[in-house]
Amino acid sequence: MKSAGSGARRFRFLAAIGVVPFLGYVAFFLIIPAGSVMIQAFRDNNGRLSLSNLATVLSSQQPWLHSYVVSLELSAVSALIAAVLGLVGTVALVSSSNLLARRLVTTACGVLANTGGVPLAFAFIATIGNAGVATHVLAEIGFNPYDHGFSLFSFTGLVIVYLYFLLPLVVLLTLPPVEALRREWREAAATLGASPRSYWQKVGLPVLTPPLIATLMVLFMDAFAAYATAQALTTGSVPLVPIEIGALLAGNVVSNQANLGDALGFGMIVIVVAAGVLYVLVQRRTARWLR
Amino acid sequence: MVAVRRKRTFRWVVFGLLGFYVLAPMAASIQFSLEAGYQGHLSFIAYSQAIAEPGLAASLITSVKVAAGAMVITLVLLVPTVILVNLRLPRWRAVLDAVSLLPLGVPAVVIVLGVLGVYRNLPDIITGTPVILALVYVILAMPYSYRAIDSGVRSLDLHTLVDASRSMGAGWGKLFSRVLLPNMRSGILAAAFLTVALSLGEYAIASIMGFMTFPVWLVSVEGNNPYVAVALSIAALLVTWILLVALALVGSGKRRTTTGFGIGLVDALDEAETSASAPGAEPAT
Repeated sequence: MKSAGSGARRFRFLAAIGVVPFLGYVAFFLIIPAGSVMIQAFRDNNGRLSLSNLATVLSSQQPWLHSYVVSLELSAVSALIAAVLGLVGTVALVSSSNLLARRLVTTACGVLANTGGVPLAFAFIATIGNAGVATHVLAEIGFNPYDHGFSLFSFTGLVIVYLYFLLPLVVLLTLPPVEALRREWREAAATLGASPRSYWQKVGLPVLTPPLIATLMVLFMDAFAAYATAQALTTGSVPLVPIEIGALLAGNVVSNQANLGDALGFGMIVIVVAAGVLYVLVQRRTARWLR
Repeated sequence: MVAVRRKRTFRWVVFGLLGFYVLAPMAASIQFSLEAGYQGHLSFIAYSQAIAEPGLAASLITSVKVAAGAMVITLVLLVPTVILVNLRLPRWRAVLDAVSLLPLGVPAVVIVLGVLGVYRNLPDIITGTPVILALVYVILAMPYSYRAIDSGVRSLDLHTLVDASRSMGAGWGKLFSRVLLPNMRSGILAAAFLTVALSLGEYAIASIMGFMTFPVWLVSVEGNNPYVAVALSIAALLVTWILLVALALVGSGKRRTTTGFGIGLVDALDEAETSASAPGAEPAT
C-alpha cells in the first residue's frame, strides 16, 4: 500500500511538471514585464529606490495628472451613458417574446462588442468627420455640427465612438440579470397597487444594482485601456494615459526621467486592478441570487 | 391592451434608435468610400486604388503571419495544458483559471512597456521582428482562448474517453489525435478564431513597437487618402465580423451564453460559481 501511495504521488509530481510550459509562458510574457513596470516605477535614473517618478506624475506642474483626469472622465462618462442606454435596450429586448430575434440580437452584440480599433474610428470619420456623409447631410439642412462646436476628434467624439462597442457589451452583460427578474415580483407589486414606475424604483433597480455596478466596471476597464480608437481619431489631441505612454515609448515625447513611462503604467495597473476587484466582489454577490 | 401596445411602441423605438446607431456608420462608410470625394458620383475608384496601394500586401502578409503564429502557439500551449489539468490535476484548475484571467488586469500599453524594458537585450530575432507580436498576442487573447478550450474540454466526459481508448489499446498519441482533439473541435476552433480576430485587429502594441501590421499601415494611409482607408476599413470589419459570427455559430448549441468573447470574463466567473456550488456537475476525480 505504501509503495502504491508514493507511486501515485510521484505520478502527480510528473503531471505537475506538465503545467510548467504554460506558467512559464505567462511568467515570461506577462508577469515579469508587468512586475518590471511596477518596480521600475519606483526607481530613479540611477536605479535607486525613489518616489521621484510618481511625484512627477502627480505634480500639478506636469501634464501627466491631467491625462489621468481626462482618461478617468472619458471612461466614466462613456461607461455611465452606455450602461443607461444599454439597460433600456436590454429591457426592450427581454420584453420581446420572439426568441429568434433575441438570439439574433445577442449574436450581433457579441460581434459588435468586439468591433473596436482602427476600422471603427475610420467608419466614424466617414460618418461625422469634417467631410463625413452625415456631416454633409446636416450641413445641407443648415446645421453643420462643426459650426456649432462639435468635433469628432474631441472628448465628445470619443464618447460617441466608444459607445459603439460599449452598448452591445452592456446588453450582453445585463441580459442574464434582467432575464432573472422574476415575473412574480412584478405581478406581486402590481397586485399591491404599485405602478410600473414604482416597481422599477422599489424592486427592479435595487435588485439590478449589483450587476449594474459589475457592468460599469467592465465598461470602465474596456474604455480606460482602449488605445487604438483614440489614437486613430485624435492622434493625441485628447490627452489620455495610454496614448501618453505610447508617445513616451515611441520617443515622440522626451522626459529626463527614464522610468516615467513605468510610473504612468503603474498607475494604470492600479486603476484597472481596483476596478477588476470591485467587479469580482459584486459579481460574487450577484451570482448568489441569479441561479 | 393599451399597456401591450405601449410596450410594443417602446420596443420598436428603442430597437430603431439602437439599430440606426449601429448601421448608420457602416452605411455612411460605404457611401463615403464609393463617392471618394465626388459627391453624388459613385465608383469603385477607392477600392481599386486600395488594391494598388504599395505596402498593402506586405502589411497583410505580416498580419496574417503574426495571427497564424499566435494561433499555433495558443493551441500548442493551451490544449495539452487544459487536458492535463482536467484529467490529472483538478486541484490546479482554479489556479490556472485565475492565471489565464491575469491579462485583463494589465492594459496592452503596459505590456509593451514591460516587454520593451525587460527584453531590450534579447536577440533581435525575438524583439526586433514581428515574432514578439505573436508571442504577446497569445497573452492578450488568453483570457478568452483559455476559456474556450477549457469549456470544450469540460463538455467531454474526459475520464471515460481516456479509459475507454486506453483499454482498447490506444497509445497516448492516438488517444490525443483520434479521440480527444476531434471531440473538442468546437472549443479549439473558437480559441483559434478568437486569437486570429484579436491578432488581426491589434493596433496599440504593433504601432508602439513600430511594426507595419495591417492596422498600423491603415493609419499611415489615412492621412494621404481617407477614401482608401475607409474602403479598407469596411473590408477589415467584414472579415472580423465573419470570424466572430463563425465563432458564435461554432459555440452555439453548446451554451446559451457563447455569443462572443466580449463576455468571456462573465462566463468565467459564472462557470466558477456553478462548479463551486454544484459538485455533482463535475466528473468525480
